[in-house]
Amino acid sequence: MKNHNPADEEILIGKPPFFKRWAGMYWLVLGNLAFLIILFYIITKLYE
Amino acid sequence: MRPLDWVVLLGTLGFIVTYGVWKTRGSKDIEGYLKGDNSMKWWTIGLSIMATQASAITFLSTPGQAYEDGMRFVQFYFGLPIAMVIISITVIPIFYRLKVYTAYEFLENRFDLKTRSLAAFLFLVQRGLAAGITIYAPAIILSTMLGWSLTITNLLIGVLVIIYTMSGGTKAVSVTQKQQMAVMMGGMIIAGFMVVSYLPDNVGFGDAVAVAGKMGKMNVVDFSWDWETSWDDRYNFWSGITGGLFLALSYFGTDQSQVARYLGGKSIAESRLGLLFNGLLKIPMQFLILFIGVMVFVFYQFNQPPVFFNEAAKSKVYATAYADELRGLETKYSSIFEQKQEAVQGLVTALKTEDEAAINAAATQVSSYTEAGKEVRDQVKGVIQKAVPGSETRDTDYVFISFVMKYLPVGLVGLLLAVIFSAAMSSTASELNALASTTVIDIYKRSVKQDGSPVHYLKASKLFTVAWGGIAIIFATYASLLDNLIQAVNIIGSIFYGTILGIFLVAFYFKRIKGNAVFFAAILAEAVVLYCYYFTDIAFLWFNVIGCAAVVLFGFILEGLIGKKKKELVA
Repeated sequence: MKNHNPADEEILIGKPPFFKRWAGMYWLVLGNLAFLIILFYIITKLYE
Repeated sequence: MRPLDWVVLLGTLGFIVTYGVWKTRGSKDIEGYLKGDNSMKWWTIGLSIMATQASAITFLSTPGQAYEDGMRFVQFYFGLPIAMVIISITVIPIFYRLKVYTAYEFLENRFDLKTRSLAAFLFLVQRGLAAGITIYAPAIILSTMLGWSLTITNLLIGVLVIIYTMSGGTKAVSVTQKQQMAVMMGGMIIAGFMVVSYLPDNVGFGDAVAVAGKMGKMNVVDFSWDWETSWDDRYNFWSGITGGLFLALSYFGTDQSQVARYLGGKSIAESRLGLLFNGLLKIPMQFLILFIGVMVFVFYQFNQPPVFFNEAAKSKVYATAYADELRGLETKYSSIFEQKQEAVQGLVTALKTEDEAAINAAATQVSSYTEAGKEVRDQVKGVIQKAVPGSETRDTDYVFISFVMKYLPVGLVGLLLAVIFSAAMSSTASELNALASTTVIDIYKRSVKQDGSPVHYLKASKLFTVAWGGIAIIFATYASLLDNLIQAVNIIGSIFYGTILGIFLVAFYFKRIKGNAVFFAAILAEAVVLYCYYFTDIAFLWFNVIGCAAVVLFGFILEGLIGKKKKELVA
């Protein structure tokens, strides 16, 4: 298998919606996870 | 079930099947049939991925699990969004570049035929068994609750799925899953509103959540870790984020029933967005389903629950010499509930005053009545075991469906049953589609008949879809003859997933390791996982991590030994 340059791959695949790069989409998903974990922790502590 | 419920149930299912067949008619070759002509947009892929994972058991068992154990099951999904990102970055571009139909095709490209065949074989065994259970598990509950024959229920689910999956292939599966997800989520949200609306007038939504919290049901996240006990605790933050990550990587990256969903995308970007959509919404969806279970729990703090939720099992006891013992226990349970009522109302009042001492005193009193009720329930389970030996005494799967049948108004009962049937059908359709693809592409086309025409392989794909559907229905029909079958299938799944993931992980990231080393490393890793299963108490979620790590480790060792041997031979 050939190694591909991530920048070339971005051009080949195309831009995601809302963000200039795919990394923005990935951070959105991971940020959402972090937000949910913090929210769930607050809920747990608030109602225990 | 009243006539309107029948109209809603049969109308919903009939519409989905007819729409799926009509919308995807006329596949002319295997490309269109197994990859949907690569025409699917991201929202179709995302909904299809979610619908494939959400089986009927998700909607039957998850609220019951929250009723019994609280919200903590949601932690099981914490690794999933991370897995979606990893698969989007690494797996999808490679699958697209190689233009594969199945995940296992890639393994021959990277290693050799025997490794591809091994992974395809493990998938067919594991998923073939699971397809039968995907039909059987809801059918046994629905047939018990509705008084239908188990065979008829199995046939209803199985035949409907075979019709549209055989007719339209991957595209039909994805198109119908959009409708099914709409029915599932719509039905569950309405059920959630209904259960909250049934609470007493003096108990608002905030009070209900506070009562649930004081009774230990709002235990969403647990960061604690004990080196001696936490390994066998299935649902805490650490097992969810690590074991859950490996499980999600295995399931979404190597299981053809999920891989087929995103391989049908219009482009890499559409497939990536579909997976990331799942990464964003899966946890909130599971949270919602669990929360509905918690609200059902609160509802039953103000309305007497049955002493045992599986009424059919109780009816069998009434026909035996143990009937009086059961009636006595039911009377005792009612008496405890009446006393508990006062304590629960006291807790609601205390919560409104925000007096910490009064809240704790009321919560302690409620807990003591809950414990007393639990003791009676355990005694009832003992009586059921004595009266009908071998009967199932775990009734959590019946909690939600029992609530639906007893309390929801006419029409909504039909809708909620449509939710459960839709969920069973959406998962089964993906499984049959994946089993047929793997059988045709990785076994039949590769090793049996290599010179067939596209039309020949299209016909073979349809034939294998019907064949796997038939096997699943037969397996579901006779499943009740085998003890602990569901547990056995779950164990088989967790035992193989780690090893399959390990093979793929080596394929993607450890280019030094070649075919022979990974093949034998996979066999050794399986032995390690089997040792852990038979001789340790490690929770099954960790098998995914252990199997995967063992393949990588043994792969390196064996590649080193094979390389050394080759050098010696050359010298």
